[in-house]
Amino acid sequence: MSALARVQGDFQDHLLRGGAAVEAHVLGTARVPVATRLGVYAGAYRSRLAEALENSYPALAKLLGEADFHALAAEYVRTHDSPYFSIRYYGDELPELLAEHSEYAAAPVLAELARWEWTMTDVFDAADATALTHAELSRVSPEQWAGLRFTWHPSLRRLALSWNAPQIWQGLTADAERPQASLNAAPVEWLLWRQELTTYFRSLGATEAAALDAARNGWPFGELCELLCWKLGEADAPAHAARLLRDWVGSGLITSAA
Amino acid sequence: MLKPPALGFGLGLRVDHYEAILADRPAVDWFEVLTENYLVPGGKPLHYLMRMRERYPLAMHGVSMSIGSSAPLDRGYLEQVKQLARRVEPAWISDHLCWTGVAGRNTHDLLPLPYTEEALEHVAERVRAVQDILGRRILLENVSSYVAFRDSSLTEWEFLRGVAERADCLILLDVNNIYVSAVNHEFDPRDYLDAIPAGRVQQIHLAGHENHGDYLIDTHDHPVPDPVWELYAAAVARFGAVSTMIERDAHIPPLAELCAELDEARALAARTLASAAGAVPGPRSTAAASGPRRSAAAPS
Repeated sequence: MSALARVQGDFQDHLLRGGAAVEAHVLGTARVPVATRLGVYAGAYRSRLAEALENSYPALAKLLGEADFHALAAEYVRTHDSPYFSIRYYGDELPELLAEHSEYAAAPVLAELARWEWTMTDVFDAADATALTHAELSRVSPEQWAGLRFTWHPSLRRLALSWNAPQIWQGLTADAERPQASLNAAPVEWLLWRQELTTYFRSLGATEAAALDAARNGWPFGELCELLCWKLGEADAPAHAARLLRDWVGSGLITSAA
Repeated sequence: MLKPPALGFGLGLRVDHYEAILADRPAVDWFEVLTENYLVPGGKPLHYLMRMRERYPLAMHGVSMSIGSSAPLDRGYLEQVKQLARRVEPAWISDHLCWTGVAGRNTHDLLPLPYTEEALEHVAERVRAVQDILGRRILLENVSSYVAFRDSSLTEWEFLRGVAERADCLILLDVNNIYVSAVNHEFDPRDYLDAIPAGRVQQIHLAGHENHGDYLIDTHDHPVPDPVWELYAAAVARFGAVSTMIERDAHIPPLAELCAELDEARALAARTLASAAGAVPGPRSTAAASGPRRSAAAPS
């Protein structure tokens, strides 16, 4: 190992694990001893990563309050190094920590709120794509419809949440009154996406969720119609399929059909 | 190889100012953008970046190159930087003379290097590799530091100059960082300026810092303080009309406040250049001679 690699390994070990080997490499002065100097770096490391977490999870930070969020961030920083070139991606495993850590697992809404916020950020800077228009869809010839498959906007995300995390997030974000945490009777299916530069989300009924997930898995339109027949009966399925497709296109969820 | 032309007086582009810049078209000559903020797939960051690009020259300033790391270069990152540069067509691309991590980790900090011959050769070789990948010369910025290494056999300015000359790269001189390091390591910042080859200084950063009494921390969250202005005047006297920008990373004030601070930089540079044009060579000016040695020694 080169001298440079040794110095850097020991320095990083000090920041990440509090290792003392770096002390042999650095010099202090009478005015500013080594411990103070290294402390500047160790403190900056922890506070920078904690600040990144606060930027990515502002609603969670507000819900927990400064002291509790600080403790959570400190625990995350202690147990999670960053492998990312950009600090934007640090914090991706906070929902898992919240779900698994004994101190937080008793309040599962916290993990769901964190999943929600992380997903919102993903939607925010997901790739751009031009949405398919109703006019373009109307040019599809009748014999093509049964085999028609769709390509989806890169920002589209799906979540199934057991708690009212999105409503709590809305209350926190709007500085409005926020609802108490409550467990849904059954998990609620959520759709999040971006149209141009604006992020949207809405809950999905079970039928739409099933159809959308099937369509995103590559099912052609004809098979989606069969799925809807099975769920809704032959009488209602065609109109329902047409309505879903119209909504998806109108919301900018679909980028192409072929 | 020729240097890119000077751009004048710029600011760091910050999200808080997007709308004000688009609405008011402030008299800022150019903006420096933080490369990593735009290495995302799409959405608002890239949308605003391209709108700014339609209106102003931009320079790309990164924090993740980790040019001094003993770990291999992150070629995936460099490829992304290259792709972004293709879209943005920046006047130049800069990063820091530092390392940010090893062993697959990123500390997201600009960590200091030991100033050794081994490190110098290592960094110079990597700068050449990066310049080959990006197809252009890059600028390297001096960082503030709080520790010195036992192994160091060169001064920081010898090291910076050595890297720039061996790798044939350009220099982004952060005058605040020189001042902060001068206080922290008890050297004369004028020695630093005097050692830097004028032909390689493409850009100057101005910023503020936090005074902890016995040492300073480069926080970039304060206005440019007097000693940094004085050192800037000395830098302008030595390097001439170099593209200058004010970097504020936290406690970001309204745009108008930063524009006013930038006007101070313009005026100081103009006065310095005018007096240099009319002056006979002589001892250092009184203002520039009041370096941080005094403040470093002053007990707090």
